[in-house]
Order: sequence, then structure tokens, then C-alpha cells
Amino acid sequence: MNIDQAYHLLFMGALIIFAVLIGIMLIRAVIGPRITDRILSINMIGTMTICSIAILSGLLHEGYLTDVALIYAMLSFVAVLILAVMYIPAKSTRGQKQSRPEMADTAKEKKLQQSQSGETTRQKARKKGKKA
Amino acid sequence: MEWIRFFITAALLIMGMISFISAVIGVYRFGFVMNRMHAAGIGDTLGLLCVVSAMAVASGLNMDTLKLLFLIFFMWFTSPVSTHFLSQVEYYTNRERARFMTFRKGGEPRES
Repeated sequence: MNIDQAYHLLFMGALIIFAVLIGIMLIRAVIGPRITDRILSINMIGTMTICSIAILSGLLHEGYLTDVALIYAMLSFVAVLILAVMYIPAKSTRGQKQSRPEMADTAKEKKLQQSQSGETTRQKARKKGKKA
Repeated sequence: MEWIRFFITAALLIMGMISFISAVIGVYRFGFVMNRMHAAGIGDTLGLLCVVSAMAVASGLNMDTLKLLFLIFFMWFTSPVSTHFLSQVEYYTNRERARFMTFRKGGEPRES
């Protein structure tokens, strides 16, 4: 067996496995129940694509494909970051006491935590301060 | 000598494929996003390290090796950042988060 044939076989097998894994992660992105599942699977697809571009540069003996992999890594990172930042509410500035806009309702949780462990220590401290 | 390099490449590539496959299985078997992030981190770090270093071994010592090492460096810095932002999104938008996550006693974790 020639060594070029061996490399070709190895890289083609790895590329086929990567194609199957990308398809499986695409199904996960479709059926993901929440938005974070979808962003997570998009992130995984980006990582696998970077790996398959790196393998392709070895398969075709083309050096410039590694540059393409680098650019793809930056693009995938920026895409995930912007998709994530769109859903995070704006932060309150430091020093001022603004109420942070909460998208999830915290009232249920606070009731749940109080029913589990009574009053928390910080709330007790606040009440004492108010009385004094 | 060529065959030794081939076997090192094959071993690294197979290790990378195994870690990617385990990452995908973990993403399917876990039930909540925070656990899935943990499973996806395997592929983002160990899988990328093994596959890209396999290609660096296969290409020999030239400019491409430097680019591939810089690719590992870049992905290892950016992957935790994107995972952190994803967990922030999950914290702010999940209405039933108290069912899945436990918070520190004494209030919200990021209360300023």
C-alpha cells in the first residue's frame, strides 16, 4: 500500500465521519427545545467545520486552506457572540441603583427558595437594617 | 520514517474523532442546556486539539504548522467566552430556571 493512498483513505474517512456528525448536530439544532440549544449546536457545527477544513488542507496539499480555517473560526465566534448578546438584557451602570431588567420572573424562584430554606441571611440583614 | 509520521497522524485523528463522537452523544443524552454545554466543551477543546495537531504533524514543519497552532490557540480562547455568554442567555431567559439550577444562598449570583 502506497503512503499517499493511506493518507487519502485516512483523511477521507475522517471527512465522512465529520459530515455525518454535522448532520446529526443539525437535527439537534432543529429539535432543540430552547434558543440556547440551537446556538450551542451551531457552535458545535462551526467547530467541526473548522476541523474538516483543516483536514481538507492536508488532503489537497493546499496551504491556503488553513487561512480559510482561521477566518472561519473568527466568523463562527462572532456569530455565536452576537446571537447570544442579543438575548442578554442591558446591564445597569455601576454605582447607580437601577433595577436590572429581568426577563425571567424571579418571584416564583424566591418563593421556592424561601419555602426551602426559610429566609436567607441577606434578607434578614436587610430587614434588621430597615428596623434600625 | 514516513510511516511513523503516518501512524502518529492516524492516532491523533482517531482520538479526535472519538472525542467528537462522545461530544455529540453527550449533547443528545443530556436533558438540559448547561449539561449539554459541558458535553460540547469536549469537542471544542480536546477534539479540536487532536485533529488540528494531527494535521500539523502530517504537514511537517512549515508555515502551515504555525497557522494551525495559532488556530488551536484562538479556539481555546474563544470557546470559553462563547460558552459563558450562552450560559448568561440561559440564566436570563429561562423562566423555569429554579427547577434546573441551584443558586447560592443569599440572593442572586450576579447581584451588584
